[in-house]
Amino acid sequence: MRVYEELFIVKPDAPEEEVDGFIESLRSSISSAGGTLDKVEKWGKRKLAYRVERYHEGAYVLLQFSSDKADTVKEIERRLRVSDLVIKFLTVRIDHTLKRLEKRKKQREKRAQRRAVAGPAPAQPSVAQQMLGESAEKEA
Amino acid sequence: MTEQRGGRPVSASQRPTGTDKAVVTQKKQYFRRKKVCRFCVEKIDDINYKDVRMLNAFIAERGKIIPRRISGVCAPHQRRLSDAIKKARNIALLPFAASI
Repeated sequence: MRVYEELFIVKPDAPEEEVDGFIESLRSSISSAGGTLDKVEKWGKRKLAYRVERYHEGAYVLLQFSSDKADTVKEIERRLRVSDLVIKFLTVRIDHTLKRLEKRKKQREKRAQRRAVAGPAPAQPSVAQQMLGESAEKEA
Repeated sequence: MTEQRGGRPVSASQRPTGTDKAVVTQKKQYFRRKKVCRFCVEKIDDINYKDVRMLNAFIAERGKIIPRRISGVCAPHQRRLSDAIKKARNIALLPFAASI
């Protein structure tokens, strides 16, 4: 299962209902392509860092969806490209990142637990761990 | 790769952290604070392109990425940081070239 994040900018003068309708249409196209839309986040209007299609501000919308097929992204990007509302979009695959973060979090918890139980840290951690844990060990 | 060539100093992440023990350079007699990687010290795992406030600390006035020899960020984190900044630029959260 691949997890993606889709951040896109909607024109600032687009009516709210139209944006909601567009998001709903995306939802249906995701599910028809075999994926699920997990999260919708509207950031509201923000100033853009540079001018995009003569606009200086835009409404950001963040979607998170997961799918097994690569075609889902293709379809979503096509729809965003065709739509008049959207002025810019960015797709990021995040399942690797999420996995890495999860692993890192577990590692930290484990280390904290060990330190709490045994007191001093183990004598010889691996090189990779040394770099991570250096500051932590200093505190102990 | 792990060996240090010549008289090169140890990379920022491997230096002792926490203290601001003075470094006296050979000729000029001034004190320099030791740089530490902010992400290692504060244990920030996630360098996200959506976190504009955090990324803003690592770009210069003109919108350029601050080199790690100045900011002191360690190499693995600088890699993720530059990736995040480039993504943020693409979606107009950060400028490619800012006007002052």
